[in-house]
Amino acid sequence: MLYNQKDLKVLKDEIEFIDTVIIPFAAMDMDMKAPVHAGNLELLQIVCVQLEKQFKGRLLITPPMMTVGEDTSLLGMYTTQLREYGFKNIIVLTHLQAEPGDMNKIRLNEIPLENMSDDMKMEMINDEVKTVMKSVISIWNQ
Amino acid sequence: MSQKVTRRQFLNYSLMGVGSFMAAGAILPMGRFALDPLFQGEAQGSMITTSVKAEEITEEPVKVDFSYEQQDAWYKSEVTDFVWVYRDGDQIIALSPICKHLGCTVTWAGDDANPNKFFCPCHNGLYEKNGKNIPGTPPRGPLDQYEVGESDGFITIGEMFENELV
Repeated sequence: MLYNQKDLKVLKDEIEFIDTVIIPFAAMDMDMKAPVHAGNLELLQIVCVQLEKQFKGRLLITPPMMTVGEDTSLLGMYTTQLREYGFKNIIVLTHLQAEPGDMNKIRLNEIPLENMSDDMKMEMINDEVKTVMKSVISIWNQ
Repeated sequence: MSQKVTRRQFLNYSLMGVGSFMAAGAILPMGRFALDPLFQGEAQGSMITTSVKAEEITEEPVKVDFSYEQQDAWYKSEVTDFVWVYRDGDQIIALSPICKHLGCTVTWAGDDANPNKFFCPCHNGLYEKNGKNIPGTPPRGPLDQYEVGESDGFITIGEMFENELV
């Protein structure tokens, strides 16, 4: 499910089935590493689209949460809200090092997509998606 | 038995002949333009050709990708979806991979304990090979079916409709 009016209506009735929320968490620092952050954000979004296709009925994928200076205070506030709403599993999908508190974190690899041919890109992204899917399933099986 | 054609008759005939050619020249293209939508609809159809050969389809369901253009309010994008395709006797069946519970993607033989069923990883939903949902698992109905055809030996995919095999 996505954060839009149609899906949120379904979510309200099916919260016992849609028990997992994914928060894409990315940096948008305007420093030397800005191009890297931009690349990471792109990969993060592609992975989210694929995840939504595969696991639509059990995941809510929130809009990407952006941060500067690896500040995670907003993330903490948001997870409290999500728990109150009724989500059992909260998964943060990110490239960042930061260790969030009482939530699961799936760390994506930094892949320099801009220097790759299209075939290679697809392959790398598909591999990354598979890894993330496996991690999500293992969180469900905990 | 020679019949004389008068000057007046000759002029009448030739004027009518030339005139009808001119009229036909103007009316025929207009008529063809008017009828064109009818011919178009027939020739184009709505089937999407895939890159999978019909003869490669066996009784084991396989993924068949198909792409189409989708308009989302402001922008058009090319979307690639897939269907599960298998052979049943001399028929080819295409089933939608979208779980009827909450819309996850189902896989064939995705669960080791159920090798001959479609499996939904989200809430352990199960379907028979013909798309019938197995009672006791979350799905509320059978998997949807797609129109299937064959064009030059390749599988074509058409409209989605409710499962008619169950």
